[in-house]
Amino acid sequence: MDTTMNRRRLLTTAALGGAGIVGATALGSIAPEDAFAAPSLTVEPGAVDPHFVEGRVTSITGTMLLVTSSDSSLHSIRITDGTSIWKLRPTTFDRIAVGDGLYARGVRLPDSTLAAESVWVNIVNVRAHLAAVGRNVLHLEHRGQRIIGHIVPGTTAAVYNNTPAVADLSLLRIGRHVQVIGAWHPDTNEIDIATVYAAA
Amino acid sequence: MAALYGEVSWFCCGNSWGPCGSTGHGACGTCNSGSLQHAWPNTSDACYSITRPDRCGISGMSRRTCGFLHYTTNRCNGARVGTRIADCGPQTDLFCGERTCCGSVCGTNRVIDLTPAAYSRIASLSTGLRPCVVTT
Repeated sequence: MDTTMNRRRLLTTAALGGAGIVGATALGSIAPEDAFAAPSLTVEPGAVDPHFVEGRVTSITGTMLLVTSSDSSLHSIRITDGTSIWKLRPTTFDRIAVGDGLYARGVRLPDSTLAAESVWVNIVNVRAHLAAVGRNVLHLEHRGQRIIGHIVPGTTAAVYNNTPAVADLSLLRIGRHVQVIGAWHPDTNEIDIATVYAAA
Repeated sequence: MAALYGEVSWFCCGNSWGPCGSTGHGACGTCNSGSLQHAWPNTSDACYSITRPDRCGISGMSRRTCGFLHYTTNRCNGARVGTRIADCGPQTDLFCGERTCCGSVCGTNRVIDLTPAAYSRIASLSTGLRPCVVTT
């Protein structure tokens, strides 16, 4: 717990331009479940969470992302060496591009910039009907719309009712419901699949 | 309400990017991905007729309406978040018997869906599904 809180302080320090960037790097990563067990910054249930941002990247300057939310509000997000970044898989800052969608969680700085602890780029969580299976692709029906889910060799995994994640997708059944965690291809109806959850 | 054990996932709402672009603001008309909110399977008769947790053997799930406060704890790490009902869901019966675990801690059947803002307070969005306990 202390480690997490120290990490949060280091993020803030790093974002403010102090020597904390070195500290954050030296601290290294911590287990994700431990990171999210940190005491939450108090926000009224039901209210907008000021420590969270949803939107699309409109520009990238240095390590700062300018993001436009779906309600048209603008947000500045500072990426530090301590920020964990996910884009289909854990990745690095250079993989973020203008036009990407994202969710970010972090700490608000006095100038309203969000010092990001975690950024999930283009992440989608789709509950869908499996309409068809093609070569390295799943055709998904989601809210009346077709989504093309690309199978990414070496990354895509299936979880069949709590089995360990496996690369074998042969147990997926057309006509059944699945849940897919994936990464959206901006401005298309296509995603890359990270994990598909299905009944065996 | 007695503590309800099961699985928690997340869903987007409010008109956002990607597949979330057409999701709208949920059954309560207030749902937004950036707010601390959740979907509950028993907000009305019409809602319950869709989600049907009883088909998965879950009986006595309380009728709670828009704005009601629940607390969800991620049983993998003990992190807890308070959220208010903003939508109907998840569709529990589509995944009857589904189980998710971390180590020896397991949850069976989907009982609550959190917004990304709420879920990311207790787990990484990339996990998708966690065992949980829901309390009032």
